[in-house]
Amino acid sequence: MITLASYLVISMILFLVGIMVMLSRKNIVAILLGIELILNAAALNFVAYSKFVTNNLDGHIFSLFIIVIAAAEAAVGLAIVIRFFQLKETIHIDEATQLRN
Amino acid sequence: MFLDILFLGSALLTVVSAILVLTTRNIMHSCIFLLGSLIGIAGLYATLGADFVAVTQVMVYVGGIVILMLFAVMLTGGKDFVSKAQSLLGLMPTMGNAWSYGVGGLVAVVFLLTNVQLLSRLGAMAQKKNDGSFESTVNKIGHLLVKDHVLAFELSSVLLLGALVGAAIIARPRKQ
Repeated sequence: MITLASYLVISMILFLVGIMVMLSRKNIVAILLGIELILNAAALNFVAYSKFVTNNLDGHIFSLFIIVIAAAEAAVGLAIVIRFFQLKETIHIDEATQLRN
Repeated sequence: MFLDILFLGSALLTVVSAILVLTTRNIMHSCIFLLGSLIGIAGLYATLGADFVAVTQVMVYVGGIVILMLFAVMLTGGKDFVSKAQSLLGLMPTMGNAWSYGVGGLVAVVFLLTNVQLLSRLGAMAQKKNDGSFESTVNKIGHLLVKDHVLAFELSSVLLLGALVGAAIIARPRKQ
């Protein structure tokens, strides 16, 4: 039987795994992967509540905007990563200590 | 019955791929496992009757963001391609030791119990059952986007334009 709780458990696992990826990796691209997992966990929660609790489609709209914002975030974040690699020749997070030069 | 099979398959794909993203050391393999996790989430959207969100998830995430991530990994590969950080129980690359992860796990358990206590009454709200009778949501979402949520819709277009221009300016080649 598929209930709201099953979706919430999956979302919680995704969120925790995303937090662990963000905390445990030192590669900037891997940290962005963790952020994508966290955003997906939130979007899944919105759609699940829209199905099981409310009677409208506002949760779907929220999920669509989350996907849009994730796309914008990934584009800008990866541009920053590539620029950082051109300057420092590495994408280790501990090398990112300056805001300019 | 079909719904249960689709739900179980998608949930298994999502969770296993997410855990493999965490535990694998090669960043390229992490990207590929993230692809599996995102496809599993699209399947979960399909079990919820969210057809438009599922298709958007596949198009934007699987077709766009993960490809962008793979390009970034390949352009910046080099010596950080495989993580050489110290490992926790030999499972995954980590930044701390067993002590710091123990404290983190304790905080996580307290956080989880508090949230379960706070959110448990929300479960009583979920009286509806997933009866498997779905209808297309594309028409309704289109009406909602240009009626109720038109401000957020227009703002997101401005945000995307800003992100596009910003990414192009940040990543442009500079003369030394």
